Amino acid sequence: MIQRRTPAALLAALLLGLLAGCWAEAGPATADGAKSFVFPIRSAGPGSLDPVRGSTTYDNQACSLVYENLLQYKYLVREGQLEPLLCKAMPTVSDDGTVYTFELKEGVLFHDDPCFEGGKGREMVAEDVVYSIKRIADKRIGTKNWWLLEQTILGFDEWRDAQNEDGDAFDYDAPCEGLVAVDRYTVRFTLKEPVTRFLNVLAMFQTSVVPREAAEMYGTRFSRRPVGTGPFTMREEDWLTSKSLDFHRNPTYRDEFYPDEWTPEDEERGLHLAAGQKLPIVDHIRINCFVQDQPMWLLFRTGKLDYGQIPAENYLESMRKRTKTLKKHYREEGITYHPVPLLDFIFRGFNMEDEVVGGYTPEKKKLRQAISLAIDLKEFNDTFYNSQNIVYDGPIPPGLAGHPVGHFSDKAYRGPNIERAKQLLAEAGYPNGEGLEPIDYYTSISANSSEQVEMMARQLGKIGVKVQSVLLEFPQLIEAINKKKAQMFSFAWGSDYPDGENNLALFYGPNESPGSNHYNYKNPEYDKLYEKIRSMQPSEERTEIYRQMVDMLLEDVPYIGSMARTRNYLGTPWVKNFKPTENFWNWPKYIDIDESLRN
Amino acid sequence: MWTYVARKLLYNIPVYLGIILLLMLALRVNDPAYAFLGKNATAEDLLDIRAKLGLDQHFLVQYLSVLSFDFSVESWANEGLKVSDMLRNSVGPSLAITLPALTLTSIIAISIAIISAYFRGRPIDRTLMVLAVVGMSVSFLVYIIFGQYWGAYLLQRDGGIDAFAIGGYEPGLANWPYYCLLPVLISTFVAIGYDTRFYRSVMVEESGRDYITTAVAKGAGKRKVMFVHMLKNAMIPIITRIMTTLPFLIMGSLLLEVYFNIPGMGRVLYKAIQEQDFPVIQSFVTIFAALFILSNILTDVLYGLVDPRVRLS
Repeated sequence: MIQRRTPAALLAALLLGLLAGCWAEAGPATADGAKSFVFPIRSAGPGSLDPVRGSTTYDNQACSLVYENLLQYKYLVREGQLEPLLCKAMPTVSDDGTVYTFELKEGVLFHDDPCFEGGKGREMVAEDVVYSIKRIADKRIGTKNWWLLEQTILGFDEWRDAQNEDGDAFDYDAPCEGLVAVDRYTVRFTLKEPVTRFLNVLAMFQTSVVPREAAEMYGTRFSRRPVGTGPFTMREEDWLTSKSLDFHRNPTYRDEFYPDEWTPEDEERGLHLAAGQKLPIVDHIRINCFVQDQPMWLLFRTGKLDYGQIPAENYLESMRKRTKTLKKHYREEGITYHPVPLLDFIFRGFNMEDEVVGGYTPEKKKLRQAISLAIDLKEFNDTFYNSQNIVYDGPIPPGLAGHPVGHFSDKAYRGPNIERAKQLLAEAGYPNGEGLEPIDYYTSISANSSEQVEMMARQLGKIGVKVQSVLLEFPQLIEAINKKKAQMFSFAWGSDYPDGENNLALFYGPNESPGSNHYNYKNPEYDKLYEKIRSMQPSEERTEIYRQMVDMLLEDVPYIGSMARTRNYLGTPWVKNFKPTENFWNWPKYIDIDESLRN
Repeated sequence: MWTYVARKLLYNIPVYLGIILLLMLALRVNDPAYAFLGKNATAEDLLDIRAKLGLDQHFLVQYLSVLSFDFSVESWANEGLKVSDMLRNSVGPSLAITLPALTLTSIIAISIAIISAYFRGRPIDRTLMVLAVVGMSVSFLVYIIFGQYWGAYLLQRDGGIDAFAIGGYEPGLANWPYYCLLPVLISTFVAIGYDTRFYRSVMVEESGRDYITTAVAKGAGKRKVMFVHMLKNAMIPIITRIMTTLPFLIMGSLLLEVYFNIPGMGRVLYKAIQEQDFPVIQSFVTIFAALFILSNILTDVLYGLVDPRVRLS
C-alpha cells in the first residue's frame, strides 16, 4: 500500500514545493495613485542592456529609458533635429569641422547603486563620457558597434589596436589623442577629418554614458543591470526574459522638462499643453514582449496596453483601407491613430561576386535589369502590406535628402515592364530564360515569406527566370549572406540615423560582407564619392552627389527595390503626449497617463 | 532494486554519451560565431569571438566541457544571464502549466476510458469516442487561439468578467488561477482525446484477458472486475504513457507559452534555437536527455511496484 501511494505523494510534494518555492516572489507593484505606462515590444525583447553590446531596436527601446547621451532628437519637432541632453548646449565646432567641444551639465547623477560608495549615485563627469566611448573599442566586451566610430576620432583606431593587442592589458586610462576630458565638465573630440554623421552617432544609444564602477563591478551582468543617468531605473529582477521589463522613476533625476518647441499639428492635438512639466511624467513603465500578435492585439483591445500596433491580420478590422483612417467604432472609443513612416529600405539584393547574377559586364547588368523589370512591387505592397508601403527608387528612404522626387527616378529599372525585361534578358544571353539555372533566393522565415517567394517566382516566371527559395531564420540568413553564399537575398535595413549616407554606406566597397555591404558591390567611382560625402555637411552639393551615387546603383542594379513601411500605432484615450516614432526611443519619458480614464 | 537501478544507470551512460556527441556535432555544422556577432562583424571579430567562446579548442575538450554539467556558463543571446538562472526562472512557469495539465488530463482521460470500457459498444461509449476523435482532429493552435479569444478576451469584453488573463504570468499561488488556469484547461482539452482513446484501448484489451474471464467465472461483480482486477493490470501502459511524458513537462509547451506570454522553458528553448544560443541549447538538451533516461529507469521501477510479476533484479 505504501509503495502504491509513493508516486501520488511525490507528485503532491512536487506540486506543493512549486507553489511554495517557485511562486513565492511577489509581482511588481506600483504605489497607489502612481502612473504606469504599459506598452508592447513585438519580439522576445532586448538581448542586452549594455549600450556597447546592444544593436537591435529592442535593445534601443530599453536602453533609452535608463541611459542618456550627450545629444538627443527633439521629441515634437520631427526633422531629425538634435538638441543637448547631457551637455549644456550644442557643442562648439572648430572652423575646419574636426574639433567638437562639449560642456556637460553639472549635477547629473548616476542611479543609486551598490557599485558606488554608500550606494549613492555619484555625479557624471567628463571622464565618464571618455570611458563610455572607449568601451566601444574594447573587444573583450564583445562590442558590436565599433563600426560607428571606425576611422572617425583622431588616434582612436590606433589606440584600439594597441589596447587590444594584449587584451588583459587593456588600459582605459591610456590617453587617446582625439578623445580628451579637458576638465571635470568639458569633453573634446578631435576627428581625423570632418564626419557629418558624428553628432548623430553621439545621439545613438550605443554611445550612452555609463559609470566605470558599474561596468567593472558587474562584468557581463552589466547587460542586465543597467546603471545610467536616465529618467528610469531597472533592477536585475525587473527583467523577465522574453516576457517583460519593468522600469521605475529615477528618484534622483535632475530637472528636465517637457519641450517648449512644437509644430502647429502638435498644438492642434494638444501636445503642447505639457510644456514645462518635469520629466519623467509617469512613475513606472512596463514593456511586455510578444512573439505572437494575437495576445498583443487582444490585450490592447481590453485596455491592458496603453498603446498598440495594428497587426496585418487586424488591419481591415480597424482601418478603412481606401481612406487609411480608423473605423468609426474605434474612434468612438477614443482610440487615436498614429501612422509612423519608417526609415526603411526593403530590397532584394544580388551577390555581386556571384558568377551568374553578379558582375559588371553589360550582359551581367542586363540580367539584373531584366529581373528588376519583371518584379512588380506594387503587387507585393497591395497583397502583403495593405498598400501601406511607399514603393520608391534608390536606397534612400522617403523623407531624407537624396530620395527621388515623387519616389520615382527615370534611371530606375522599375517593373513591371515584361516586354523590356524579355528584351534585356535576351541581350544578356538568356532568351526567355533559356540557359539560366534557377536562382537561389534566400530570405528569412516570417508570417508570409513563403507567399512572397511564390509571388516573386510567378512574376519572374513571366520572363522565364526560375527561382529556388531558401527560407532561413534571420541569424542563419545573415550568416549565409556574410559567407557570400546567397545568390539573391532579401531583408530590410532600418536607417541608424536620419541621413541617406547611412544607406549609401551599404554599397561602399570596403564594407563588403561580413560588413554592411552585403551585396559586395565594388565600384571605385562610387567609393570615391562616398569618401567625399562622409565629411560633407548637408547641402545641395552633397545631395547632388547622393543622386549621382543613387544613379550608379540604379544602373548597376546590385539590388531590386525599394519599399518603406508605415507602422500603424493606436493610442488609448488615457495615453497623453503620444507622438510615437521609431527613429529614437527615449520618448516614453514625455508620456503622461490619465489613470481616471482607464477602464 | 537499487542494484537494478545502478545497473540500468551504467547501461545508459554510453547512450547518454552518444546523444551528447550527436548534439554537439549537429550544433557545429554551421559556424555559430556568425550568428553571435552583429551585422557589421569583421573577420577579425569572428576570430576573437571563436577564441573567447572556446570554439577554437579541440573537439574533445569541448565535449568534456559539455559533459561537466557546468550550467554557470552564460547565455550568448542573454548576456549577463547564466544558463542556471534561465533554468531556474523558467522551470516554475512551465511546470505551473504542464504538471496540473498532465494530472487533470490523466484523471479525466482514465475516468472516461473506464466509463467507455464499462459501456463498451453501447451508445455512451460510441458518443465518447466520437467526441474524442473530434477533439483530436482539431489543431492545438486552434484551441489556443479560440480559447484565448473566447475564454479570455470575449468573456472580458462582452461579459465584463476578467476571469482569465489574455497573456502574462505573475508568480504566486494567488495569481495561478488568473494566469495559468485557462492554458491548463486548453492543454487538458487537447490531450484528453488522445489519452482517452489510448486508455480505453488498454482497458478493452485487458477486458479480454483470461484472468478477467476467471474472475467473472468466480462470481466477481462487473465493478469489482473493472476497478480491482482490470485497472490494476492496466496500470503498466498507463504508467508508461505518463512517465514518458514527464521529461516533456519540464520543456514546457511552446505554443501555450508563446500565446499566453508565459516565460517558460519551451519559449526559452525555442528562442535559444532561433538565436543559436549554444550554451542554452546544449544545456537544455543535456538535461532533457538525462531526464529521459532517468524517467525510463523510474518507469521500470514503478512496474515492479505495481506488478508483482515484474522482478527488479
